Amino acid sequence: MADLVNLTIDGVPVSVPKGTLVVDAAKKIENDIPVFCYHPKLKPVGMCRMCLVDIGMPKIDPATKQPVRDEQGNVVIAFMPKLTTACTTPVSEGMVVRTATEQVRAAREDILEFLLTSHPLDCPICDKGGECPLQNLTLGFGPSVSRFDYDAKFHNEKHVPLGDLIYLDRERCIQCSRCIRFQDEIADDHVLQFHDRGRGMEIITFSDPPFDSYFGGNTTDICPVGALTTADFRFKARPWELASTQSLCTHCPVGCNITLNTRLETKSGGYEIKRVMPRQNEQVNEIWICDKGRYVHHFTRAEDRLRQPMVRRDGRLVEATWEQALQLVGERLKAAGTSVAAVVGDRIANEDAYLVAKLVRALNGAIGMSPSVPAHYADVARAFGVGAHANLAHLGKGDVILVVNGDVEEQAPVWFLRLRQAVVDRGAALVIAHSRSTKMHRYARAIHRYEPGYAARWVADRSEELIAKESLKDARNLLIVFGDEQLDGPSARALAQGLANLLIATGHAGKADSGLLPLYPHANTQGVFDVIAGADRAAASNGANGKVGADLRSPICDSRFEVAWLIGVGDASDAPSAGFTVVQELFMTALAKQADVVLPALSFAEREGTFTSGDRRVQRFYRALPPLGEARPDWWIAQEIAKRLGHSWGFQGPAHIFADLAHSIPHYSGLSYEVISKSEPQWPPMGRGDLYYGGTVYDNTGGLGARYASDAERDPAGVRPYDGAAPEPTIAGLERRPRPLYRDGELIRRSAVLASHIVPAQEVA
Amino acid sequence: MSGFYGTKNKTMERHVLLRDVDVPNIREYDVYVANDGYAAWKKALTTMKPDEVINVVKDSGLRGRGGAGFPAGVKWSFIPKDIFPKYVVVNGDESEAGTFKDHQIIDGNPHQLIEGVALCAYAVQANTSYIYLRGEFYEPAKTLQRAIDEAYAHGMLGKNVLGSGFDLDIHIHLGAGAYICGEETALLSSLEGQLGQPRLRPPFPAVQGLYAKPTVINNVETLANVPPIVLHGAQWYRQYGTEKSPGTKIFCVSGRVNKPGNYELPLGKYTIRELIEMAGGTMDGRPVKGVLPAGSSAPILPANLLDTKLDYESVQAAGSILGSASFVILDDTVDIVWAARKMVRFFKHESCGKCTPCREGTYWALKLYDKILSGHGTLADVDMIGEVAGQMAGKCFCLLGEFATSPMQSTLKHFRAEYEAFIANHQGGKMNGYTDELIREGVLAGPEGVITRH
Amino acid sequence: MGLKEVLTRIVVGFATVLKTVTRRPVTIQYPEQQKPMSARFRGRHHLKRYEDGLERCIGCALCAAACPADAIYVEAGENTDEERYSPGERYAKTYEINMLRCIFCGYCEDACPTNAIVLEPIEFPTGYTRESMIYTKEMLLESPPINVPATPQRTPPGKYDRAILPFPPIDESQ
Repeated sequence: MADLVNLTIDGVPVSVPKGTLVVDAAKKIENDIPVFCYHPKLKPVGMCRMCLVDIGMPKIDPATKQPVRDEQGNVVIAFMPKLTTACTTPVSEGMVVRTATEQVRAAREDILEFLLTSHPLDCPICDKGGECPLQNLTLGFGPSVSRFDYDAKFHNEKHVPLGDLIYLDRERCIQCSRCIRFQDEIADDHVLQFHDRGRGMEIITFSDPPFDSYFGGNTTDICPVGALTTADFRFKARPWELASTQSLCTHCPVGCNITLNTRLETKSGGYEIKRVMPRQNEQVNEIWICDKGRYVHHFTRAEDRLRQPMVRRDGRLVEATWEQALQLVGERLKAAGTSVAAVVGDRIANEDAYLVAKLVRALNGAIGMSPSVPAHYADVARAFGVGAHANLAHLGKGDVILVVNGDVEEQAPVWFLRLRQAVVDRGAALVIAHSRSTKMHRYARAIHRYEPGYAARWVADRSEELIAKESLKDARNLLIVFGDEQLDGPSARALAQGLANLLIATGHAGKADSGLLPLYPHANTQGVFDVIAGADRAAASNGANGKVGADLRSPICDSRFEVAWLIGVGDASDAPSAGFTVVQELFMTALAKQADVVLPALSFAEREGTFTSGDRRVQRFYRALPPLGEARPDWWIAQEIAKRLGHSWGFQGPAHIFADLAHSIPHYSGLSYEVISKSEPQWPPMGRGDLYYGGTVYDNTGGLGARYASDAERDPAGVRPYDGAAPEPTIAGLERRPRPLYRDGELIRRSAVLASHIVPAQEVA
Repeated sequence: MSGFYGTKNKTMERHVLLRDVDVPNIREYDVYVANDGYAAWKKALTTMKPDEVINVVKDSGLRGRGGAGFPAGVKWSFIPKDIFPKYVVVNGDESEAGTFKDHQIIDGNPHQLIEGVALCAYAVQANTSYIYLRGEFYEPAKTLQRAIDEAYAHGMLGKNVLGSGFDLDIHIHLGAGAYICGEETALLSSLEGQLGQPRLRPPFPAVQGLYAKPTVINNVETLANVPPIVLHGAQWYRQYGTEKSPGTKIFCVSGRVNKPGNYELPLGKYTIRELIEMAGGTMDGRPVKGVLPAGSSAPILPANLLDTKLDYESVQAAGSILGSASFVILDDTVDIVWAARKMVRFFKHESCGKCTPCREGTYWALKLYDKILSGHGTLADVDMIGEVAGQMAGKCFCLLGEFATSPMQSTLKHFRAEYEAFIANHQGGKMNGYTDELIREGVLAGPEGVITRH
Repeated sequence: MGLKEVLTRIVVGFATVLKTVTRRPVTIQYPEQQKPMSARFRGRHHLKRYEDGLERCIGCALCAAACPADAIYVEAGENTDEERYSPGERYAKTYEINMLRCIFCGYCEDACPTNAIVLEPIEFPTGYTRESMIYTKEMLLESPPINVPATPQRTPPGKYDRAILPFPPIDESQ
């Protein structure tokens, strides 16, 4: 930080980078200046006038350009005639800020009294009550009584649906425009605006469908009053009744840090998730989450969750005890010998996948992951992925972001927000190659097109042209985001390899903020791949040369096995055929209905574990809910099955398993629950008592996670380009249609609020 | 065919701005050219560098006529030289109560405005200019557009004006009727098609104005001053007015006078009392109770300050502002409480709603005035008005909120006794003739079928 | 201990017995017999209604927050004009008080912004099982006034848009 500016706030000296606003500088020394309209992630507007402070500058002698000094040699400070908004004033050298004067105190009281003249007295029924900045600031700075005539209060509509997910209470709105500015500046969905003027000014939505945005839920977090509420949480609970557990979102590769708010419920007879809130992680999701992450949580306490193991007797699935079910599975596995195939879904935790892989390896069976296409390129993405300390917030002027064959907003919404900021706010160049238009196209410097399914071909053929045309070699960093839509496994691998070659050719391989960023389908695609493919090396040393790894790329659904063990694969179409099928699931899926044994697993909210995000950040999630029925975590099931085959592992829990995992998977060496649970103070500070500053986002105390280094970073000398050939597109590849955010699935189907948004399965691959 | 409906008052031998008083039909291009029209424009294009134009205006001491009185030449010199495009925006919103000077210029002497705009654009090297007129100026806009078309036809505007290589386009934009759009940054927002709300400063319009490009914003009257200054020189201009406030100024006189209208006078030469006399004195010769020197936004001056000289400094010293010099004369038949409520209601209606003190303060103040006017006020309410105004003052985002406090604070300062008398005479819901008005404005419930305006 | 002392103690003992043998017992045969209670005694909770039959309780759960014994459990629901339980948008869908946990401190009454919950001097909670001591909303809610419909009611749009009505002015003559 070269340009530090020194100033004093209430007598406390503080040094902050040039351009910092007074309100943030005060925050640095924990002097909390009250604000309503200001938000550290949004541009300042100075509308609410709550942050008025007394600001003075050193008096400069016009002749000498030196500060004037009094007899004692102190610099004479010229205070401004009026109070100034701290949220719009950048710091300057020698500035003196006073926040504790009588004038400032009176100003805060005055503004609050003004705000409360039109604000209804319905705190008892307001969802924000208890975590409301207006409540808190009124208690802290407001007048004890209002002199405003109660009968003269301004009344307005209290129930205005802004779209089907967000409701507006016009009476509670204090016109801070945070929601409008979030939609304009962060989400770039210009769906909200002020209408009318003066006291009649109100928020309206003018999009069709109304409030058409994937990020609308965030506006309720940053709303400083209870004007905006989500259809999901509206009147569901009071904030003080909620317990909060730090967790991770499971729906896309971003790995957003979330907090699960739970509460005791009569109808479900226990705790249930009432809402999902963002948890600050400036490396991952800052303080935002998308609406899918926010609303798709009802599956955790869905009526039709599996609660009891089931075995097939006389052609029907009937409930059984764990002992019976596990005994049966153990016997069949023993009888099957090596003719065993396990398929691991890419949403289950690393620890689970690790134990499954460990068991399958011990049985010398085959293992695969579902969906199978990412397994074809996950090793390339890992080898040339972004650096261990990369942060999308570092990207800016001089950097190039290349998006190939992926729809960032649909497949990794929060990355869309962060990449957009890198491009629009900080001046990174965006180059897009895609067969169709996406929202990201709005910001592109250059757009390239190809026929659907020809992504890999296009990269292989046009790399040199692209390097020259977009001067990729001159870029400070080159970040390549790519997706696998309409590609089959070999093509997706060829695409990843072609892009890795591009990194090598432009000299960006192994650089800290450069690399590949794959748009995987779910939260733990990379982790499941790492864990089950990492068994490769161990398998090789056992003499079963590469069998496990080879399975990952060759479709095991073509072979027939004695026993197939499907763990969290959902409705995957690429399950192998087998004489005996074991399905480990949350719900009675189509596959489970045909299985011989169905084992109920716990969802992510009922257990702890780790996920590895698309950018290889290993993060922890914690247990928020008690177990449901007889359901058990996947790792427990794997361990119990292993026990019946004579393997006594004796793992006590995920932490224990992770230690073993980190020991045997080379990429994970050095990682442990201690390392990934570490959290440090983040800037801007949020989620503390001062809800008015950042909103109701939660503080991160559960760990920021850690990213393991890419192969190119570990061994720069070992970087070799791949063979550049790309195969012809296949029908199977072309049928893998783009994945919209709200695509139909077992989990989203349980969230009634999103029912009208779900894109039917036949329209999706 | 439109025409300015007011009387044309001859107050000077040769008017500088209201030349339609001296020369009939000067709105016609030929008449204008025959009377030194576009001579300054030709002179500037052929013999002067842009900086020289700025310097002449700077030397003349011309101050902005919109209200703030900022020196125009200094404002122009702030425009960065190396950023293009730049814009000249003309503020013809003229929405201050009692102001109608720009109307007469646009309607009666449009070519002088166009020439002024052109000179300004040349001085700052802007190739596009927007004239922002209030929405109600539908007819004047047609006159102005005709004049612009004539100027284009005679090669005074357009590509490569008079062979100088300088291009200039002038567009007229009609606002949608908001007082706040007279504030320069709100005007820019409105011009860009956004909600008319003031913007944060800095960045100032001179650095990031229209479409985030350097922009000069000047009032219609300010720019109408420029052609004579450039033609005759700064010294000629300084023969009028005072050292600090040179030149002539149009005074809009309205209210309880016999001859309301525009009066162009040198600054600092006459007093308010003389201005009222020029306007034919008060109706029926009644004594003056107070004067609003700049419409509703200026603090009221009581009758004992009528000998204040008409220039920026003197009016300010008397405790008010000259602003746009729209003098509203109130005689002793005017009920000050009623008048103050009228103005507060105006501000409540026109507050843009962006900042809390203005949005909520005007609403609260009007509620208090309504209470008093409908005969339920108490002395505590009078004090409350003063406190609400004091709570607003110095905290608002732009000047509208600050101005809104002046009718409250200044009437309380000078006419508190009237408030007290009003309350004494209007106890227990007695409204003494304000019933119809309050029903019309929706404060009181009226009989069925009466249309109320909120 | 001498003989005299022993005899004295026996006599004193018998005297005590004789003294109380004629006295009336202080216990009563509850529940057949009941003692009169102070008018201010705080007994079992009642959920009150407005005169038009709407429930006063708006499901704000402030009583639950104030309860030191954690005896109150509230789940809120949303009113519509077609199906209205209380004024405003929110009502108590579930309202339960565990009478075994309740310490009858009356904090819930203090916390209530609409005067919905009131501890009345009548009725003492009794029961044979723990489950029966969890009083549900149906048990707590008082019946509507005569000739007034119970909740949910169908109400004209916009009439009940506010949850908290201003308290009526205090009648100073009382």
